[in-house]
Amino acid sequence: MRNPHGAELFCARTPAWAGRIVLKMAELKLLLEHAHESEFATLRGYVARGGYEGLKAALGMDRQGVIDQIKASGLRGRGGAGFPTWIKWNGIPKEKNGTHYILCNADEGEPGTFKDKQLMEQTPFELIEGMTIAAVATQGDVGYIYIRGEFLDAAKAMRRAIDEAYRDGYLGQNILGSGLNFDLHLHLGAGSYECGEESALMSSLMGERGMPRLKFPHAPLPTIAGLFDRPTVINNVETYCCAPYILKNGGEWYATLGAATKNSRGTKIFSVSGHVNRPGNIEIEFGTSLMELLEMSGGMQGGRLKACVPGGSSVPIINAEACEKAIIGYEEMGDVKTMVGSGGCMFLNDHTCIVKFIWRTALFYARESCGKCTPCREGTKWMLQILTRIVDGKGQPGDDQLLLEICKQIDGRSFCGLGDAAAWPVEAAIRVFPEEFDFYIKNGRSMVETPLMATMSPR
Amino acid sequence: MSELLQIGAVNERPKPPRAEDLNLRFSDRAVAELEALKTHYPNWKACILPGLWIAQREYGGFLSGEAIAEVAHRLQRSYAEVEGVATFYSMYNTAHVPGKHKIEVCTCLTCQVCGAYPLWEHLKAKLGIGHGETTADGMFTLEEVECLNACDRAPLIQVGDQYIGPLDTAGVDRLLDELRGRSDSTVVQMADVVVQVHLREPERNPT
Repeated sequence: MRNPHGAELFCARTPAWAGRIVLKMAELKLLLEHAHESEFATLRGYVARGGYEGLKAALGMDRQGVIDQIKASGLRGRGGAGFPTWIKWNGIPKEKNGTHYILCNADEGEPGTFKDKQLMEQTPFELIEGMTIAAVATQGDVGYIYIRGEFLDAAKAMRRAIDEAYRDGYLGQNILGSGLNFDLHLHLGAGSYECGEESALMSSLMGERGMPRLKFPHAPLPTIAGLFDRPTVINNVETYCCAPYILKNGGEWYATLGAATKNSRGTKIFSVSGHVNRPGNIEIEFGTSLMELLEMSGGMQGGRLKACVPGGSSVPIINAEACEKAIIGYEEMGDVKTMVGSGGCMFLNDHTCIVKFIWRTALFYARESCGKCTPCREGTKWMLQILTRIVDGKGQPGDDQLLLEICKQIDGRSFCGLGDAAAWPVEAAIRVFPEEFDFYIKNGRSMVETPLMATMSPR
Repeated sequence: MSELLQIGAVNERPKPPRAEDLNLRFSDRAVAELEALKTHYPNWKACILPGLWIAQREYGGFLSGEAIAEVAHRLQRSYAEVEGVATFYSMYNTAHVPGKHKIEVCTCLTCQVCGAYPLWEHLKAKLGIGHGETTADGMFTLEEVECLNACDRAPLIQVGDQYIGPLDTAGVDRLLDELRGRSDSTVVQMADVVVQVHLREPERNPT
């Protein structure tokens, strides 16, 4: 608690705080604290609410000092993999002999996730400031924000913010009189889930098909040869948005958030959707339980809790019992055999047919596989064919084992993470809800006989 | 398109289409926009995606062979390379001429459990077309798309640059009536918005 802002957050737990800011239970708003104020999306409003103090602090430090603050904060990538951010920043060559790129992955495509959309629409300056801080730390010259083509509201908000920042000297030449030059461009995708994978994103930005590239150790890391074969920092929108707060309040302060967990620090935005009363983005501190998250989003709608996909469609599905035990944290979620992922949390009620749900997941991956490597290109289609025949009531005995066999062949054998991500949900659903698959295959119809189940596939 | 493929001698890369073989249709504004975009990247190749967006607007929403050839010519890349990129991405209309309005229905996970398929069936029946098809009057194209990432508003439909949701069948009917009353094409309008957000303030409205 090194400054007023930090103190305010901690007093939050006392009842006196509740009167000042509208808060639900254990919601801890850091990035989204001012998100609902339209003023916050303007430069003046942002600066008035403590914006750009992080950048000023960073400009007062040497480069390694900035990276050390990020290291002390324990910040991990918010895009899904949870890789420590400081390692990426530290990996950029200290001796500069050409352009360094700062790249933001705003190609949010994971089904169930919509946090980056809200961050870009309502808090665009957090992202711009975060990327500028990364530029300070790694001597970045040019930044690109790769936004998926569908997110036009977010892109328009970012464009307004970037233009404003250029006008007032927060971007461009000699930022805030510090001698730092940093240009920021927007680049829009054109509809491909695969472009959310970092090397595919770089391919796409370089004007190619969005297919992943060879990775370390077979090729240099992006920090050495990434975008245009130059050193590149690439992070998710939410990760960059955390940087201003870390620099403003200190890395040690940030590390006190979520200290109850093993190795997850700070806050995380969860996009809660599905059968809940108040779907939306909820920012919580690591260490909050999954049931608390459900309560914050208004509880279940239309039935009892049956299952939850806590981190976007790629992460393994869990049942209601596991939900009760789940604590949100990168390692803690592993205890219930699932992951934090990108934070796209879908709650499903007991009218949901898991077989049809997984069929739709498989359809998604079969459609979005980029076709570069065989295990993913063929495997996702096979899984879809088998699941389609089960859903059509033509399942054959042993189909569940066949699916598990295919999952084993895809997982860890594909060129990028999309293959793994396609295999995990199928494998987990058969492990967690085997009786539903057995029943569907044996009887040719779903075990769940509800009106909702009937609408879960086209007929 | 074979006449546009300029295959050189052995061991030579395919050459970009030549201006004299093409009927160039980019407006002055589009040319200026493309020139501005070239300054954003260290090479012209990176302009292929935004260049295709410009072409999609200039050619009325459809990336025909001619449109792709013009982008290839202006960026000095081969026709095959640009066509390969254009056909990879789902938002470029390369298969056939789209209708005036493209209705994209998300049926992915959250929308699925919140009733997207009944909406989808309703739209198919009402318009009498299926996935990727266009109505006979050229008004609507219907597409089933993957997650649009606004799951808090499921079930969701995208038309042009607008996300509309949550929707029910009555809402869909109202939406169709509203679109029928519009004079401009949301497909072209969307491509224009995409191009505009790429450009910095001084680069927009070049004189």
